[in-house]
Amino acid sequence: MTSDFLAIYPAKLMEYGLAITYLLLFIPMWRYVQGGQKVLAVQPVQGRHDAERWPAVAVAAPWPSLGWFQVPAGVALHPGHTWARLEADGLVSVGVDDFAQRLVAPSTVELPQTGAVVTQGEAAVAIGDGRHSVPLVSPVNGTVVAVNRAVAEDPNLLQNAYGTGWLFKVKAPRLEADQRQLLHAQAARHFLDGEAEALAMRASPEVGQVLQDGGAPVHGLARVLAGDDGWEALAREFFHTEKGTP
Amino acid sequence: MANGIALTGNSSFFREKVLLGMGWGEYLRSLLTPANAVAAVILAVGIPLLAYRFAAGLGATTALSQAYPWGIWIGFDMMTGIVLAAGGFTIGASVQLLGLKDFHGIERSAILTAFLGYVMAVIGLLADLGRPWNIVQAVFSFGSASPLFEVAWCVMCYTTVLLLEFTVPFFEWLGWRKLHAVLKKMLIALTVLSVVFSTMHQSALGSLFLLAPTKLHPLWYSPFIFIFFFISAILAGISMAVIESSISHKVFARQLVGKHVDVDALVCGLGKAGAVVAFAYFFIKLQGVIDGHAWGHLATGWGALFLVETVGLVLVPSLLFAWGARHREPRAVKVAAVLAVGGIILNRLNVAVIAMNWTNPIRYVPSWMEVWVSLTLVTLGVVAFRWIVNRMPIIREDSAFPQEH
Repeated sequence: MTSDFLAIYPAKLMEYGLAITYLLLFIPMWRYVQGGQKVLAVQPVQGRHDAERWPAVAVAAPWPSLGWFQVPAGVALHPGHTWARLEADGLVSVGVDDFAQRLVAPSTVELPQTGAVVTQGEAAVAIGDGRHSVPLVSPVNGTVVAVNRAVAEDPNLLQNAYGTGWLFKVKAPRLEADQRQLLHAQAARHFLDGEAEALAMRASPEVGQVLQDGGAPVHGLARVLAGDDGWEALAREFFHTEKGTP
Repeated sequence: MANGIALTGNSSFFREKVLLGMGWGEYLRSLLTPANAVAAVILAVGIPLLAYRFAAGLGATTALSQAYPWGIWIGFDMMTGIVLAAGGFTIGASVQLLGLKDFHGIERSAILTAFLGYVMAVIGLLADLGRPWNIVQAVFSFGSASPLFEVAWCVMCYTTVLLLEFTVPFFEWLGWRKLHAVLKKMLIALTVLSVVFSTMHQSALGSLFLLAPTKLHPLWYSPFIFIFFFISAILAGISMAVIESSISHKVFARQLVGKHVDVDALVCGLGKAGAVVAFAYFFIKLQGVIDGHAWGHLATGWGALFLVETVGLVLVPSLLFAWGARHREPRAVKVAAVLAVGGIILNRLNVAVIAMNWTNPIRYVPSWMEVWVSLTLVTLGVVAFRWIVNRMPIIREDSAFPQEH
């Protein structure tokens, strides 16, 4: 039978050859299979976006949160109290979170220009009371393609922080990498609960947040806690935009 | 009076849970569909055939002989039924052990498919055994060096584990909260056991053929055949999950009204895994050919059959899986899954029936009764799956038992 014409050594040679061929071919195969998603993260057309990490596009009902501050499903938070949400058109909406708008209760909103380049972790917008203004960082990298002028005209829209209170939209080419720095779902809720606790410590340092602390904190809490001149420093501390930081 | 109340209570429970809220007349009328008519014809012939087999014996019903003691009841019902049930442990392990919660939505249907697959395979096995009542000997023989001993124990243990896993939605259906809570807590332990038993079982079915190195054609025989069986079981599990979840979500779409279930994303995710596993399986099969010095046979008719199985129904699906997953084309992934399942069915039939006794001039051709009984078991499985999914929270969630994702 022709099957026996080769001795053991050529057979072994073929086995090792096949094993090495497999390993060499496996690398491009693996890269090919894994490669598709990166393209999709940049251009999530027809709503087929990365549904695993950004589960909902529409503003869903807020998660049942134990704390004072809300974050809906599908929204990722930056620790500097801004949020990002991947929309069906592939753009990323950005705004300030519930904590930030309640802390400051802004009467002025400064937005970036369309076409401006924003960088994750660097100041992109500012909110204030007319006398002082506090910058907030962008949660993602990208180019601003739309801004919400309505909020600049009527800052009260910010009270619906994740809906009508969106600030600008960006084209985010490195969203996959950016979102690793953001807090999703449970982590975002824990983060806001922690910040609420930190805020409560400011109000009554001895006991922190206690059971009797029912109801939502008053709007413009920063001014209540630190006064008309001190609130800015307090807000900057929470937004990670203290003066002197790069 | 008390009896009357109890009866009323029972009948409303029965009506809600079993008759789907309909009266008897309405329920029976709802069963009059073309699909049910086909199933009824198959079962009306098949179940008496099964009874006839037990009354008249194997010789009267099958084409089996001393030279061919294993027919399609082993090659198809057992070997194929078990490998196609591998979705249970593949998806169960992905969700419960690897933490891939995205696949949570198809976990229960995969486990149910596995459970029914095993039950049908066991019925097929009992039909195939000459003296089925002697099966208990396999348990107590303690022939620990025998693959058949391992197979017997694994079938029994794994079927029990699948039954316990299935009781979670079953108790939700009945509303038995306490038992449900206990089983739900056990689910991770059960998943670990299911991986252990099914891994052993899938590979042990391959080990059976280590006893027949000269009977099985060299292109299929390999001293590593149990590894081939195990890896192809993973591929079968992934492919079946693709097929089964796509069909289920279409057939039972009304159970998901108002729920956002991105089946396409799940299918593409499974496609990635399928691509990699099929790719590895293809090369391992080739390695078996080289190791067995069997490449000379590739130019024969047997070689053509082997190439259809390995290139056409393993390598091609692998590349199609990869393309579909990369370009997010669920249709390509589904076609790849159908091809891959076809390849694995062909593999099991080749190993157990077609390429077995390949030098024997007399070929085994199954009798019509064997084919009909196999068809009956498949039909029974499908009917049972539909009956259960229509009633129990397999695809939909029971609002009284919210599930954490």
